[in-house]
Amino acid sequence: MGSSSSDPRYVDVTYIVEPDPPVNLTLELKQPEDRKPYLWIKWFPPTLVDVRSGWLTLQYEIRLKPEKAAEWETHFAGQQTQFKILSLYPGQKYLVQVHCKPDHGFWSEWSPESSIPIPNDFSMTDATVWIFVAVLSAVICLIMVWAVALKGYSMVTCILPPVPGPKIKGFDTHLLEKGKSEELLSALGCQDFPPTSDCEDLLVEFLEVDDSGDQQLMPAHSKEHPGQGVKPTHSDPDSDSGRGSCDSPSLLSEKCDEPRANPSKFHTPEGLEKAEKPETNVTQPQGPQSTSVEGKIPSFHVSGSQSSTWPLLQPPGLHYSRSSYHSVADVCKLGLGTAGAASTLLDKTDTRALKPSQTIETGGEGKAAEHGESESFHSKTDQDAARLLPQDKTPLTSAKHLEYVEIHKVSKDGALALLPKQNENSGRAEKTSTPETSKEYSKVSRVMDSNILVLVQDRRAQNLAPFEEPAKEAPPPLPQNPAAVDLASFPAAPSNCRLQLGGLDYLHPTGFMHPFQ
Amino acid sequence: MDNKGSSQKGSLLLLLLLVSNLLLCKSVASLPICPSGAVNCQVSLRDLFDRAVILSHYIHNLSSEMFNEFDKRYAQGRGFITKAINSCHTSSLSTPEDKEQAQQVHHEVLLSMILGVLRSWNDPLYHLVTEVRGMQEAPDAILSRAIEIEEQNKRLLEGMEKIVGQVHPGVKENEVYSVWSGLPSLQMADEDTRLFAFYNLLHCLRRDSHKIDSYLKLLKCRIIYDSNC
Repeated sequence: MGSSSSDPRYVDVTYIVEPDPPVNLTLELKQPEDRKPYLWIKWFPPTLVDVRSGWLTLQYEIRLKPEKAAEWETHFAGQQTQFKILSLYPGQKYLVQVHCKPDHGFWSEWSPESSIPIPNDFSMTDATVWIFVAVLSAVICLIMVWAVALKGYSMVTCILPPVPGPKIKGFDTHLLEKGKSEELLSALGCQDFPPTSDCEDLLVEFLEVDDSGDQQLMPAHSKEHPGQGVKPTHSDPDSDSGRGSCDSPSLLSEKCDEPRANPSKFHTPEGLEKAEKPETNVTQPQGPQSTSVEGKIPSFHVSGSQSSTWPLLQPPGLHYSRSSYHSVADVCKLGLGTAGAASTLLDKTDTRALKPSQTIETGGEGKAAEHGESESFHSKTDQDAARLLPQDKTPLTSAKHLEYVEIHKVSKDGALALLPKQNENSGRAEKTSTPETSKEYSKVSRVMDSNILVLVQDRRAQNLAPFEEPAKEAPPPLPQNPAAVDLASFPAAPSNCRLQLGGLDYLHPTGFMHPFQ
Repeated sequence: MDNKGSSQKGSLLLLLLLVSNLLLCKSVASLPICPSGAVNCQVSLRDLFDRAVILSHYIHNLSSEMFNEFDKRYAQGRGFITKAINSCHTSSLSTPEDKEQAQQVHHEVLLSMILGVLRSWNDPLYHLVTEVRGMQEAPDAILSRAIEIEEQNKRLLEGMEKIVGQVHPGVKENEVYSVWSGLPSLQMADEDTRLFAFYNLLHCLRRDSHKIDSYLKLLKCRIIYDSNC
């Protein structure tokens, strides 16, 4: 059967004791001088637990959290009835609780919450330091701003002095801003800038070769026009037009004497013949060559005086029918005997690009014919020429075998008569250049043997090759000076010269001389 | 000749070891306080009591855990507890049963009672370890605790003797203790009998260790803190 009583259950009191929670929980915020402040928590054991005799030994545990926090922070306190909390968040209100447990019993309930607000100036020292630093820096910034404001202008002017802007009389900046260049330039006295299409004509005219004229500038002609180079249509070298004499205002009058000695060698068949003549004759052909556009370059007259070193322009007979004269510099190059000088000049001309010259080149490229000159171009070229001249001088003077060509005169049609300055050969070289119409001068393609400039037409660059070939032929016959490409033409028949000179504007005087010798 | 030299060397070595041991022992801050052999080793009574209380508390915790472990594993539903009441061998020592009785006993008497109980458990603890080891599937939880309790009991005994020597110096003490005769029960072939014997032994150990712990804490608060713990 069953039993009426249950099995006894034996309980040891020791193991089932659950004491009351601790009492008198006190919180105190302690702030020692040299150390960080801490929270000092104190409590008392529950009243009914006899801890004093030691019969029961309680162990305590506290927990705390900021008021708004979600999790409690629990600390085991052992048998002590006080505890220190060091890590506190300033400016928050903390809640603290404590409970206890006998050696072998159960944990008591948590004591009622005790709260304590942590003041904000908890870490006063750090905050004050930072605030002080911030205020100080702000004050410094204010002082600097004030100083700059007061003396800013003078300081700026001291450091960055104002750059005076250019002032040109008659120059209306407003016009410039509007972009009306014509009006602006007209105010300045410029004409036709940027050069209009007339420049092309001017170019062409510059390189006109005077067939008849003994002095004929070498035209920048294309080899395709062998015959063109010898256009007889050009003014008679004997004619006054285009004759580059010292008296001619269009030519550089200063050094007329010298160029006289150097016969210009720009040529046509007649020009070649003239090369045979004494120096004076030789000079003549050069004249027209150098200055293609005599009449067309009124400004040349002006510059002529300045550019003593310029190849003289022979007024008559020297004209370029259709050759395109790219730049006055090119003309100079023609006369230059020294490669160095020529190269220098060439460089300068290229870089300088007298704007008109370049435009002329471009314009001339498309055109090969006589036509109107653009006076503005002339003026520009004059200026450029003038500018070039001084530069030319230096290299030239340094060069030994200086073969300089002066513009003897400018033919009517604008042909430049170049006269070799010191070397009759140069004159001859120039003379041999066949004046051809519609020839365009291009830049110096190359320099041969330091005293020959090989000018090449821009738009007919391809013609270089043929021109060069004959040039190669020339050198052999010329022992002393290697013949320029142009020269090559010389030894050949005059017609060849013409042909070849079309693209190459500079002829070596020796080359010129050769066929005639 | 060689033997003599070697024996001399051995003795010298031994002496060196002893000295080093002593030195090492001194450098160690933990127990024992006084190295073995030292006569004039003075440890304050407070420290002695603190250490004693720590040990007694520790022993009680171990025995309590051991009992719970055994009860859970072997004695479930067997009703051993009923038969184990008042069957401890140390019952003859007439120790106070509650706080009031304990507070009325003089501390000298109380001290001697504590010593008597501690001495009474030297033998049972030794056999307990042996027998638990011999059990098939000896549970390590019980065995390890049994070994630890035996060790700490000896230490506590030594400490208590020191306390008595300081509290009552010069008193010749009657070494009174209870003799344990439960060994044959532990070796019984019958498993139930044997298990009950173990259960009973562990139950009595837990009770007596708790008594020792309580008495010592009382004595500490009374002697050291003047009943103001």
